[in-house]
Amino acid sequence: MSEEALPPTTGPDLTLPVPAIPHQAPAAEAATRQADGTHAGGPQVGADEWVARRAQRREYLPSWLGSVQRATERVGWWPRLAVAGLAGAVLPLFGLGGFQLQVGIDSLTIALLAVGLNIVVGWTGMLDLGYVAFFGFGAYGFALLSSAQLGSHGIHLPSLLSIPIVMIATGILGLLVGLPSRRLIGDYLAIVTLFFGEAFVEFTNNVAPGVLGGPNGIVGIDAVHALGHQITTNAGYYYLLIVLLVVTMAVLRLLDTSRTGRAWRAVREDPLAAASMTIPVDRVKLMAFAFGAAVAGLAGTIFAAQQISVFPTDFDTPILIVIYAALVLGGSGSIAGAATGALVVYVIYDGLLRSPAYSGYMFYGLILLTLLARVRPWRRLGLVLAGTVAFGFLAHAVAQGISHSWVAGAPQSAGFVGTALRDWVIVPANAQTPGKVGFVLLVCLLIALVQLNGTWRTILLVPTLYVASFTWETVLIANPSVTRQLMIGAILIVMMNARPQGLLGTRRVEVPT
Amino acid sequence: MAFFFQELVNGVTTGALYALVALGFSMVYGVLKLLNFAHGDLYMVGAFVGYFVIQWFGGPAALSIPVPVVLLIMFVLAAVLVGLLGVAIERFAYRPLRDAPRIAPLITAIGISFFLENAALLLFGAQYRVYNTSEFISFSSGIQIGSVSIDAVQIMVLAMGLVLMVGLRLLVSRTKLGKQMRAVASDREAAEMLGINVNFTIAATFFLGSALAGVAGVMAGLLFNQVTNTIGFVAGLKAFTAAVVGGIGSVPGAMLGGLLIGIAESFITGYISSTYTNLLIFGLLIAVMLGRPTGLFGRPQLRKV
Amino acid sequence: MKAYGIIAATALGALVLAGCGSSASSNNGVSAAAAKCATSIGMEGPLTGPVATLGQEQLHFAELALATDNAANKTHITLVQGDTQLNPAQATTVTQQFTSNSAIVGVVGPAGSQEVEAVGPLFARVDMAFISGSATNATLTQGKYPTFFRVVSKDSVQGPQDANYIISTFHPKALMIVDDQEAYSTGLVSAMAPIFQQAGIKVDHESVSQKVTDFSSIVAKVTSATTVVVLPWQVASNAQQFGRDLAQQHKNAVIFGTDGLFSPGTFTIAGSYVSSFGPDITGIPADSSIVATATAKYGKFGTFGPPVYAATHVLDEAIASVCKAGHVPTRANVIAAVKATNEPTSILGQPISFTSGGDLNNGKFFLFKIDSTGKYNLIPSS
Repeated sequence: MSEEALPPTTGPDLTLPVPAIPHQAPAAEAATRQADGTHAGGPQVGADEWVARRAQRREYLPSWLGSVQRATERVGWWPRLAVAGLAGAVLPLFGLGGFQLQVGIDSLTIALLAVGLNIVVGWTGMLDLGYVAFFGFGAYGFALLSSAQLGSHGIHLPSLLSIPIVMIATGILGLLVGLPSRRLIGDYLAIVTLFFGEAFVEFTNNVAPGVLGGPNGIVGIDAVHALGHQITTNAGYYYLLIVLLVVTMAVLRLLDTSRTGRAWRAVREDPLAAASMTIPVDRVKLMAFAFGAAVAGLAGTIFAAQQISVFPTDFDTPILIVIYAALVLGGSGSIAGAATGALVVYVIYDGLLRSPAYSGYMFYGLILLTLLARVRPWRRLGLVLAGTVAFGFLAHAVAQGISHSWVAGAPQSAGFVGTALRDWVIVPANAQTPGKVGFVLLVCLLIALVQLNGTWRTILLVPTLYVASFTWETVLIANPSVTRQLMIGAILIVMMNARPQGLLGTRRVEVPT
Repeated sequence: MAFFFQELVNGVTTGALYALVALGFSMVYGVLKLLNFAHGDLYMVGAFVGYFVIQWFGGPAALSIPVPVVLLIMFVLAAVLVGLLGVAIERFAYRPLRDAPRIAPLITAIGISFFLENAALLLFGAQYRVYNTSEFISFSSGIQIGSVSIDAVQIMVLAMGLVLMVGLRLLVSRTKLGKQMRAVASDREAAEMLGINVNFTIAATFFLGSALAGVAGVMAGLLFNQVTNTIGFVAGLKAFTAAVVGGIGSVPGAMLGGLLIGIAESFITGYISSTYTNLLIFGLLIAVMLGRPTGLFGRPQLRKV
Repeated sequence: MKAYGIIAATALGALVLAGCGSSASSNNGVSAAAAKCATSIGMEGPLTGPVATLGQEQLHFAELALATDNAANKTHITLVQGDTQLNPAQATTVTQQFTSNSAIVGVVGPAGSQEVEAVGPLFARVDMAFISGSATNATLTQGKYPTFFRVVSKDSVQGPQDANYIISTFHPKALMIVDDQEAYSTGLVSAMAPIFQQAGIKVDHESVSQKVTDFSSIVAKVTSATTVVVLPWQVASNAQQFGRDLAQQHKNAVIFGTDGLFSPGTFTIAGSYVSSFGPDITGIPADSSIVATATAKYGKFGTFGPPVYAATHVLDEAIASVCKAGHVPTRANVIAAVKATNEPTSILGQPISFTSGGDLNNGKFFLFKIDSTGKYNLIPSS
């Protein structure tokens, strides 16, 4: 088609007068910025509107909690990281034994993994369900390079060499896995990565058993050693992990506030618009995969060194789900959220449920906390608590009246909780079957609770709390390993429905395409 | 040659099973654009329902009522109960998230899958529950063509699978409900504006999809005899593969995908080695996804900007 | 922020409570030990997970042994359970919990050879004895794990023994051997396969994961020349399904299984053979009271329970002997007593003493044949 000269337009003049808008130089602009982000002297083009809206969008809690929030924010991200790091480093000095340090090490590993996953899921919005394969790759990589596995005597590379090599290799693997992401929409990517994760476990279990060890895994891995020192104690690995976590979080913070971080977030919100703004979407996605994989690889190397052995089953789906629960709880999109979520989830998951008798404190504590946070006004909360206590004693008396074997058992919680609940909660002699019925009843009651409103909800809360305690004391404590898995699943479901941005994240609104 | 046909029979039977699960999965994806990771676990629940029905009527060796009646009850009960469970899950977990970022319902689905698996573990224990089909449907009731033996259970699975698939196809293409489903799958807002009860349609889709999974679970129990809380995960993975290979959102695609996966599994085990079966299936999936992301029957998704 | 504060408090509180939990019990242990031989032993096993039935059986027998020994020796030993799900990483965490709990002076378990390899160094570090009732990998007792003991024989004995029995009894031209992708299985396969190949038998080596329940495709590969199918599996009901598939496709191969298949009531394919590291204690007259109690309390059991009973009994006797000598049980004197174990008879129908590597002296394997009623009949060793 040839271009013809367009005839001159005739008609009304549609240009509008442009108002004069005051504009200050950046230095002066900063000088007039107030505490909540707006500027003294009225709004500035671009900067203030956006900043003010962003400030208002952040949900500050009411009264003194809000002021604490604002104060913490004014402190700045780096000092907060330093404080957290110091707190973590000082913790073992309170007399934690080998077991607690092991829990700490495992939580820090999960925290590192959650922080890495945050890059892919939280910042770039890609659901990577095979993330745990990078973790395994890092572990196996370190195992192969620093043990007696390969060759006649094995390669025993010093850790200062093997850890970076493994990290880079894992990053490259992440790149390769990310290649299909260029053509696949979110859901398809999830499936492909899920299969990649499964394939990794199958691969290490069945292929090349002479090199990879098959189901026997690789044992006898060297400890982390550098400059003549070896790390062999739990305390040593704990401190190493704290240092690595802090460094990783720092590096990621720098990335987050850089152009790359903004590009990631742009791709998450709307890839098409990002592409229109000349962001190289494919390259950005690949970078996300690569960085996430590298962090996972790092976590893998320390895991391998600390465990002294790696097996294919160490990197199966349950761990992936724990990492996701950690990220979802803490807040995807936030580095601090990922780390905090991981610590909370893992400490509860492992540390507490290994002593099931004492986990009653945590369970009832959490329930009370939730009630405190959600049931208002205080009068209503008092009514609910009083009602539950009364209901409990009544039910117990009735049950005792019907048959003595109905209350013949004892609550499984130990300590103060157990003694307090002795005459309150019904625990039959053969608690298994009633407990299971109670579990089903509890799920139904919780669903009903979510559907109701107002007075009915308050009324239903009382039997729900009682059934919850009943189920806990009969079956849930008796099967701690199943209970904690249930808890992980519940965290995912509840968090996504109640507070998808997690504890420390910011709310996202997705524009429907 | 007989070996070829035997593997083919095995493959088609398991393929029919995968196809049923993939069908339900595909239907749900079609209306909600949601990968329901919990679908495999619905299959597991169906298998347990079937087991308990057998136990209720006296156990496999001493059934108090005739076998066809037990089978009928098993299938109907599994379909209804699992269907209702699926509707409940949609109602309470997915509906609030209809307008949330895509990642939210996906993660919820993972959570539900995990929760269901462990709830089954808590309620039913870790030991394998065994159907012992051969006690009430003996081996000799099958047919034998040369040295290829086809069991009565396999015949039943194939027949039922065919009937259900054809029935579903008819439902989707000929009935009013099917039309509503296709409308909601195509454009939910427009469908709502046209007066279609979207919530009901989605609930009906979930019911049908989950019921299919439940029936497939009972069939799996009859075929493979063993029911435990982890069978859902593997079946779910195979169903994903089948649905994706066939073209997600497409009913004939899911059927074809399921059959393909079943046959591929059978032949890989038979002619190469069982060690690499899963790896090769995964590789097949990845190859299909890279070569033709929308699968064999899927339509390329056009995004309007 | 409120969230920060609550989380930090919870996490801190949780850690501290977890610490209190273990330290509280340790305080009790030390003070009361001298008075009435009150101490604790740990039990690691796959209490949940894919082989939970085995783990639960092991736990039941450990509890039974403990109750019996406490009554007989007037001791007050308590059992602390740890669930490993047959997962070495979890076994490490459980072991850390046990080793940091100073009240625990010995451990029964873990069940899997992989787990022993993961936790061996941890136990060695604190010089605590751990006795397994089911870890059969031959490399475990070659000196790497000085505090490891086992009351069952090892793969390097079972594999060749079974292989030679198969060759001499069935004279197969071809056989199929299927592993379940677990260390136990692959260990046995690598012990058996070379012997078969050396005898000129055509070996078809297949592999399925424990999660697979459909074996029809593998069964289709069983040719008419295949006389024996070897299934060194851990899950008996899978083998039962395999047997059903064999019958359904009219194949005549005989199933030869190992310890995991010993499950009266679950694995009942007539004409099959099962080789087990544990005897069928229902056939040992001296064990009749234990059999009666176990059946009454726990129902049917297989061969995984009795060795754990034996292991627990060894530990209990070691602790009792330390107390009788007037000392407080510690890890050091308990392991010394375990090393010196010399029981003339046991639940396994044989004397128990340990080699320097921790192996059972003169460990035997028992071969059973299943008859048409599903009963396991011991084949006397010739």
